[in-house]
Amino acid sequence: MRVLNIRLMRMIWKHKGQFVAATAVVIIGLMVFTATGMAVKNLDTTLEKYYEITEFADMFVEVVKIPESAVHKIENLDFVERAEGRIVFDVPLRTEGDDEKVNVRIISYNTEEHHINKHYLLDGSLSLRNEREVHVIKMFADARNIQVGDTLRTQIQGDSYKLEVKGIVANPEYTYLMENEQSLLPDPGRFGVLFVGHEFAQNSYGMRNSYNEVVLKLKEGTNTQYAQKELEKMLDKYGVKRVYKRKDQLSNRMVHEEIESGKKTSQTVPIIFLSVAAAIISVMVQRLVRNDRVTIGVFKALGYTNTQITVHYTMLSLGIGLVGSVFGILFGTLLSGAMAQMYVDMIFNIPILYGKIYWEYYIGTVGLASVFCILAGLWGAQPVMKIMPADSMRPEAPKMGKRIWIERITWFWKRFTFSWKMVIRNILRSKKRFLFITLGISLTFSVTVIPLYQALAFKDIFVSHYSEFQTMDYTVKFTRPQNENMVLKVDELVESERIEPLCEYPFEVTNGWKEKVVNVVGIRQNSQLYHFKSLGNDPIQLPRRGIFISKGVADLLNVQKGDFVTLKSYIPDRDDQEVQIVEVIKQKLGMNIYMELETMQSLLADEELITGLAIESKANIKPELENVKGILSVQSVEDMQNVFMEFLDLTKVTIVFLVIFSGVLGFAVVYNSTVMSINERQLEFSSLRVMGFTKVDIFKLILKENAIMTVLGLLMGLPVGRWMISSVAQAFSTELYTLEAIASPVTYMQAIVMTIIFVSLAQVATYGKIHRLHFIDALKNRTA
Amino acid sequence: MSEIMKFKNLKKIYQMGEVKVEALRGVTMDIQEGEFVVILGPSGSGKSTLLNILGGMDLPTEGEVSFRSQMISNYNDRKLTEYRRSQVGFVFQFYNLMANLTAKENVELATEISVEPLDIDQVLIDVGLGERSDHFPAQMSGGEQQRVAIARAIAKNPDILLCDEPTGALDFKTGIGILKLLNKVNRLYKKTIVVITHNASIGEMADRVIKMRSGEIVDIVKNETPVSPEGIEW
Repeated sequence: MRVLNIRLMRMIWKHKGQFVAATAVVIIGLMVFTATGMAVKNLDTTLEKYYEITEFADMFVEVVKIPESAVHKIENLDFVERAEGRIVFDVPLRTEGDDEKVNVRIISYNTEEHHINKHYLLDGSLSLRNEREVHVIKMFADARNIQVGDTLRTQIQGDSYKLEVKGIVANPEYTYLMENEQSLLPDPGRFGVLFVGHEFAQNSYGMRNSYNEVVLKLKEGTNTQYAQKELEKMLDKYGVKRVYKRKDQLSNRMVHEEIESGKKTSQTVPIIFLSVAAAIISVMVQRLVRNDRVTIGVFKALGYTNTQITVHYTMLSLGIGLVGSVFGILFGTLLSGAMAQMYVDMIFNIPILYGKIYWEYYIGTVGLASVFCILAGLWGAQPVMKIMPADSMRPEAPKMGKRIWIERITWFWKRFTFSWKMVIRNILRSKKRFLFITLGISLTFSVTVIPLYQALAFKDIFVSHYSEFQTMDYTVKFTRPQNENMVLKVDELVESERIEPLCEYPFEVTNGWKEKVVNVVGIRQNSQLYHFKSLGNDPIQLPRRGIFISKGVADLLNVQKGDFVTLKSYIPDRDDQEVQIVEVIKQKLGMNIYMELETMQSLLADEELITGLAIESKANIKPELENVKGILSVQSVEDMQNVFMEFLDLTKVTIVFLVIFSGVLGFAVVYNSTVMSINERQLEFSSLRVMGFTKVDIFKLILKENAIMTVLGLLMGLPVGRWMISSVAQAFSTELYTLEAIASPVTYMQAIVMTIIFVSLAQVATYGKIHRLHFIDALKNRTA
Repeated sequence: MSEIMKFKNLKKIYQMGEVKVEALRGVTMDIQEGEFVVILGPSGSGKSTLLNILGGMDLPTEGEVSFRSQMISNYNDRKLTEYRRSQVGFVFQFYNLMANLTAKENVELATEISVEPLDIDQVLIDVGLGERSDHFPAQMSGGEQQRVAIARAIAKNPDILLCDEPTGALDFKTGIGILKLLNKVNRLYKKTIVVITHNASIGEMADRVIKMRSGEIVDIVKNETPVSPEGIEW
């Protein structure tokens, strides 16, 4: 079919604008599929390799104190491959000249024999010969410009220590450098990790021949659930605080959440774009077939079969699919490399990258494009079957012209000018085109509103959590639990409007077989710094007995108001407590359980012991608290805000990309349908030109038609966008934050303005078609 | 001469909304091998409908059509396509060339699916377009375009050539040129030719003239002394 292929190529060239526009939508869909899919897979593979190289622990145990001999006993358990004790504690790092509070986590290891969570050396030396030598985690070193050979000053148990940096390392336990579950984002400038020898940690922290954490490698095939239970039982006497699996380890969990989110993106975004592309292609082929009615009749007269003709037109859509695949694969591969690099370097801290091309993604890309485009082509070429060769030789009977429904409302109809009447009639008589454009515009709007919503939703999490739910200006954490007198002591030191004590401990919360480790926060019943709201958004006060549980935890444990849950304490010698859920509350950031302070102290902790403070103060109180014994960290809401702004800068790139993608989508829909409309209505426009209409007059007619459809498309887009927002909110909410499916009117307005810009650009691009319209030719043209 | 086509009591009824239009009302006739037949009639006489049925582009509502003893009125879509592909060549009033194919490619379009096609270059030389084969339709005159259409019809080596008002869109001089070409095809390639027209003068060059009116054959005139196209005037 050489000649048919030549015809196809020339047909594509003739309709190159439409071809490029439809192909661009396919390219975006396939690029996202290849790029995100491969980047996430490479991240996953890299992570596994990294864990293998560094022998990342399978199980983590936190205890009050465990002697070295007990660690050996753990090692003798039949499911344990290896166990290593370590001392972990957070201390302040002394910094020069500024008032910021920087904390470092000191983690000890056996410098002679280190097998679990091994460091990956990036600079300096791996061996620590001297007790005061340390390794520094890379992200922290980069953020604070720490070099090998530098000296760091820390404050441990009231004593000051000077530590020399021997090496800059990466560590599998801190691929995502977060202090704890409550931190929204990493803040590498204010929190870092230092690795020291056991000897230094034991001496400085006062734990001779003992540890407060154990990390384990389990034998292959071990049931981790069983191992966890056994260890909890065995280590009870050492004051077991928490035993958790690798999958619950914070950094590992964050990477896997990113991997899962990437997978969702690589599955959903391409489907949206390919579906729109399929709709565009289908309409494009359908219109082409309709315009080629006589040609198809000639084909049939010459003896071409329906199948041969259908394949001919479907080849056009396949062409779009294949060109889209080539560029989708090309751009997707380039982008996947950049994305993978960004994952390991900027978002996480993984020193290696196993970048590999996954042929299955290429095959998937071609497969996806082929399936969508062939189906679209076949659907569009369907009318070929119905064209009878004899009929096609006769001019098509004009469409039945009748009054449109709106004309019956005479008083309303009379108000329109002649050109507006033409516009409205045209819109309502081409119902399929009307539906296609309005749906396309509504989808463009919905796709545009998503990234804008996401940016806003993250901001909303922050604002809502730190200015509506919690209204303190500072949170203070103690190195170890303190007496409530600390409130008075701090009150004397700093200028404040209010200081409230906090008692916060992790507990294992269970409901039947469902369990979750959650921080339980004890606060005063009359707290002015915590503002609880029920799911119905009603303000509520903390009860004397019972608990408030955040919606995230309630969902995970499948519990509701009135149910009982068991709180299992990690504080040694504490009994499990059954508590009743008084209310399920809204909490966008983090997941917690809240209790009245005294009830918590008597049931779950110790009388009058608190672990931190919430302070309301407009003054800068950090310098006053810097050298106070027992205070580990002072974090201001402003600090958090700065971290959050940095994070938003990163997400801005993604938002810009997504907005561009939706722009291409809107452009393709409007451009293609307008061009098709112009081609089909050449005779009509030519007649108007003969009657004295200028090119601009005709362009205005189309402009008015599209303007009406844009308005209707936007109106339709509002509920679609709302639905997509709630789907995104559900899909992208994690254990750390809950996205609320509410977008502000400003977001909708921004999306509306952007959609109008995309539509206008497409409109301007079609002006050339009107300008080049030779009306005399169109009136007498009889070439097939 | 043997019989190439025969049709008996052909009827064709179109349903136009609620109205039934009888385009053919029981037409019976035959066409002989190698014959040059002109079907004459005014608009609405049913001549195009008859031509479409002859060419397997349409099926009769009633009656029989046979081509060399094969009952094509019973053919299904696949067999009709096969029939059009191998036995019939069409020439249309408005040429119906593919705008985005050159003259040669337009002819190739037909030969690509033929079993025993003729040599394209030779056919183009025969129709007087040897030098213009690489031109697109838009670069050709109406007469030249019709020549391409004739070349396309004969290059696939059909048994019968069906021409629907082949000179209808052309001026007198060009029209005569086309008729000369059809005459040449009839003699040189020994093809049976059926021309439908409302131009009575063209009947002078035919072996037989079939006159139609209101879906019926009103007269069949055998022309014992066909004139050459040059002798025709209208």
